[in-house]
Amino acid sequence: MNKNNTQTNSFSLSNDKVSATILLVPALIFCTIFIFIPAIGTIVGSFYSYSLTSMNNWKWVGFGNYIKATQDEYFWVALKNNFIIVFASIVLQVGVGTILAAILDRGIKYGRVIFRTIIFTPMVISSVAVSLIWLIIYDPNVGILNAIFKSIGLSTPSKGWLGDPNISIWMIMITAAWQNTGFMMVLILAGLQGVSKEVYDAAEIDGATGVKAFWYITLPMIRNVLIVAILITTIGAFKVFEFIFVFTQGGPSNATQVLGTYIYLQAFNLFHMGYANALSVILLLIALFLGWLQLKSSRKA
Amino acid sequence: MSRFKIANIIAYGFVTLFSIYVLMPILVMVLTTFKSKREIFLEPLGIPSQFGISSFEKALTVGLGSFMLNSFIVSFFAVFLIVTISGMAAYVLSRIDFKINKFVYLLIVAGFAIPPAAVLVPLYTMVSNLNLLNSLFGVIMPLTAFGIPFTVILFYAFFLDFPKEVEEAATIDGCTKLQIFFRIIVPLSGPVIASAAIFQTVWIWNEFLLALIMLTSDDFKTLPIGLLKLRGEWTSDWGAIMAGLTIAVIPVLIVFLIFQKYFVRSLAGLGK
Repeated sequence: MNKNNTQTNSFSLSNDKVSATILLVPALIFCTIFIFIPAIGTIVGSFYSYSLTSMNNWKWVGFGNYIKATQDEYFWVALKNNFIIVFASIVLQVGVGTILAAILDRGIKYGRVIFRTIIFTPMVISSVAVSLIWLIIYDPNVGILNAIFKSIGLSTPSKGWLGDPNISIWMIMITAAWQNTGFMMVLILAGLQGVSKEVYDAAEIDGATGVKAFWYITLPMIRNVLIVAILITTIGAFKVFEFIFVFTQGGPSNATQVLGTYIYLQAFNLFHMGYANALSVILLLIALFLGWLQLKSSRKA
Repeated sequence: MSRFKIANIIAYGFVTLFSIYVLMPILVMVLTTFKSKREIFLEPLGIPSQFGISSFEKALTVGLGSFMLNSFIVSFFAVFLIVTISGMAAYVLSRIDFKINKFVYLLIVAGFAIPPAAVLVPLYTMVSNLNLLNSLFGVIMPLTAFGIPFTVILFYAFFLDFPKEVEEAATIDGCTKLQIFFRIIVPLSGPVIASAAIFQTVWIWNEFLLALIMLTSDDFKTLPIGLLKLRGEWTSDWGAIMAGLTIAVIPVLIVFLIFQKYFVRSLAGLGK
């Protein structure tokens, strides 16, 4: 009897193994071929110098590409822009998203679904379409931003809203916030709705209401959701591509490059494949670090 | 009481202002479409005096219909593959105690962190060597791969909370894990499948970077890449550009408004 039992078990275990392998293998194949092998290829390729047109002329350069990056002014500009976008996005998207979520959660009685739907809408529009729509708003000849500024008697930038890099980086931020703040709002709103009524009742007895209660009681309670929101925003800020590709192409004179557009420029316009790979490895390391942070924080949650 | 009223006015005022900021560009897009060239230039803030459709006719000449069809094909197949493959893998990871499971899960989380821009050159070389540049298949495959990690994580969390009693009963009846997955788990996973499908459809419909490097021929361009053609073709003819955008954006907005509850739900689950 006992022996029989073990046999059934080992049979079903091997059966499980077959089923499990069949179910698991497709995902592994896809990720290996299109993510992990290219990731390794990026690392290997970063130690060579080669161009797109002469794929066979790989020349070993060691850390040459990385040394080149440290001496490349525009790489630092791109990295700096990425960080500016990270910080500004956290303030604009997570910050304003939290305020909007708080208002929709407990601040207003009517129209919650309508406001939520409107504010979330830009999320479903492709970033290219978003960029093209904002291009006409920023246009110096026909744009409504100029028209509004002129109608209230303010002066407009002489090189246009996208011509001066000190201004255009903020125009990119405004557009990114337009697209993503609603997403952050919905994410944080879901967290807020998980806070029970009793907590607010208890707070009220202690004399904490409104903004005070929100700051001292609600925010600490949705700490985990806020961390996820900040991480998603940070990861998104390193992936920024379309807005810059459409608005400025990284210009004038590379002042608005970010890592994504600079990698694209090096690889597909200048054909410096090895150098593009080295820049990609730097992006890869940043991305993996952020992914690790996210994993750690989600485990805590 | 009056303090309460002021707070209320501020709250409504803030969300109303933000809603105007969100709606204004969409309104500009639609209104510019109907304006004459003169009106676009002289009255940026005005409304069109008549509803002309000549801009739409111009916009359609760049081939928006074919771009949309390509986007539809790519989205349909990639989303189908992503949801199927991810659901299967997540089920194994959540149910069967393999020693390598933890490693596989970590690998998948790592895959989630890697952005396409970080593997751009080798991916392009690979697709090019396979002669799959300028083919929809050539973008569907990598897009599927990049959609899998996130979807596995989504399904994994769902399956962990899934009641195990039904499966145990089926195991006693002699079903294999494969049978259990397709006959019991899949039919009961409607909500998470819907969430995953919605999320991935939005992502793939709008994906830009991989499509940009792989699809250079007009016959195969997806909508986000095709939209750039509007600007190339109608450089300063804003009416035509905005008409093209209206054609591309309005159907998505209508789908969103119909299913907005599910969109919100699928994204809200991310923070949990």
